[in-house]
Amino acid sequence: MPNARTARRIGVGSSSRRGTILDLRSYLAAEKASVFRPAQALSTVHEITALQYALEKQGRHPIVVVEKPTLANGTTSDIPVVCNLTASRALVAGALGINDHRSAAPIYAKKTGNPIAPKVVSAKDAPVQEIVLEGDKADLTLLPALKQHMFDPGAYLTAAHATTYDPDTGVDNTAIQRCWVKSKSRMSYYPYPASHNNRNMRKFWAKGQDCPVVFWIGHHPAVLMGTQAKLGYPESHWSACGGLIGEPLRVVPSRTFGDKIMVPADAEIVIEGYALKDQLEADGPFGEYTGYSGPQVAAPVIQVTCITMRKNALYHDYGSGLTDMLVPDNMAMEGKVYSLVKAVAPSLVNVHVPAQGRRFHAYLQFAKPGPGEVRDGLTAALAYRRLKMVIAVDDDIDLFDDSEMMFALATRVQWSRDSFAIDGLSGSLLDPSTPAGSKTLSKMAIDATFPLPPFAGAPSPVPPRSKVPEAAFTSATKALAGIDMSEWPTL
Amino acid sequence: MSQSKTNIENIPAGAPWEKTGNTSWTQCPSCKGWFHVGPGILNRPDVKLHCPTCSADFSQSDAARIIKAG
Ligand SMILES: [Zn+2]
Repeated sequence: MPNARTARRIGVGSSSRRGTILDLRSYLAAEKASVFRPAQALSTVHEITALQYALEKQGRHPIVVVEKPTLANGTTSDIPVVCNLTASRALVAGALGINDHRSAAPIYAKKTGNPIAPKVVSAKDAPVQEIVLEGDKADLTLLPALKQHMFDPGAYLTAAHATTYDPDTGVDNTAIQRCWVKSKSRMSYYPYPASHNNRNMRKFWAKGQDCPVVFWIGHHPAVLMGTQAKLGYPESHWSACGGLIGEPLRVVPSRTFGDKIMVPADAEIVIEGYALKDQLEADGPFGEYTGYSGPQVAAPVIQVTCITMRKNALYHDYGSGLTDMLVPDNMAMEGKVYSLVKAVAPSLVNVHVPAQGRRFHAYLQFAKPGPGEVRDGLTAALAYRRLKMVIAVDDDIDLFDDSEMMFALATRVQWSRDSFAIDGLSGSLLDPSTPAGSKTLSKMAIDATFPLPPFAGAPSPVPPRSKVPEAAFTSATKALAGIDMSEWPTL
Repeated sequence: MSQSKTNIENIPAGAPWEKTGNTSWTQCPSCKGWFHVGPGILNRPDVKLHCPTCSADFSQSDAARIIKAG
């Protein structure tokens, strides 16, 4: 058992709830109908990522498992690459036990707001430590890391969840942050400047110490989602993850750092090491979530101490800027934005952060908002660092259908009255439209709701939407069932 | 031509930044169903209104309610 200080840090309580063990391989087995295993050999250099782009172009989002990826040196890896794991909102919601992905925002907000402490297991009960590679045997180049995009200088770990801890409080933090594999035991690591991991690293460096870091790769999508909960500082992600999955996350002390840094016991691969004090090297350019290649930066360097993995380990890769990276992060954002807006606008009913807006757009849905509530909600959402444009609509508009959103914008907005911009808010400077040298962004809110009825019992002073009776529509839809429409013209 | 009584309720104006609708509604005296009417017909009290729900024809002055936008 952890000591009292450790218990407080990772939030271990008395809960003994335990369901089926969640891991990546059990998830793939359960979702085998949604898994595509390409028959042809695919290289880790561009080809696996190209397959993801080709699937996106087709509008299809299966999980992809490349059993025998070809490495950059022409050899074949025995470690399969799993990608496109989280490209489908429906699959991700299903992994969370949510029947309809469109209802994820309030459920995610509620579950991550009810944390469940992790359960610490011993090394013998931790599959991720079945194989331990230390010293010369700890070889990063054994991993089938991908060189995804043109301009990327080499192979990157893109689904490495970096876990550090605050040396002042002992509280850990987890975030997905990229690593460029440079040799067997060295890689660059980019915790972007505003991140909590960067803050932890700077604290260690200020004390004259290298910063302990572990990177874990490959887990059940619900665990991946849980560890992406948007939290304050310092705040451990293990308990928020437990809240989301509805049971304690199984964690095990890392080999190098013991219970100072726990790792998920049922992950596939763990890399342990130090971010060397004050050492920076060139990292990137790198294809970013914006859909553009981000510029080269000066990044810390990791000296690897140990690699552990399961037998028959799976390697997970996120397509950077592709749907599989955007979907889980955006769904986690929906939970965060829901909480922020609901606090000031109780009539909020739903939130969508659409992948086509990267992380910059959010759609808010209101049901009978009171005076000022929509603008209160829009302003609260704009204050969230990641967002740049927020649109509010009524509950007759399908937030998940962009043609519905365009309908609302086209017919419910007078621009000078119903939109407002606020300059000088915090945001992502990776946005290519950001002026050189700026530290803040210009943001926009649009109220695309209709006015409410002037008196109780009266209709709204707007025209009703044209529609046919629900029964007639259902009947017409049934009449179309089973008809081959493949030759019919599209819009 | 003017009518002797009016049953038109005007929607109170708000601040310029507040949303106000542009559509007036009338309530059928027969079936109590609501339908929307344009400013042109409300300016012609001599033209009878026609309920799209129950097909009743009625004068403005006989409407259960008229709520006028603008
Ligand atoms: Zn009628």
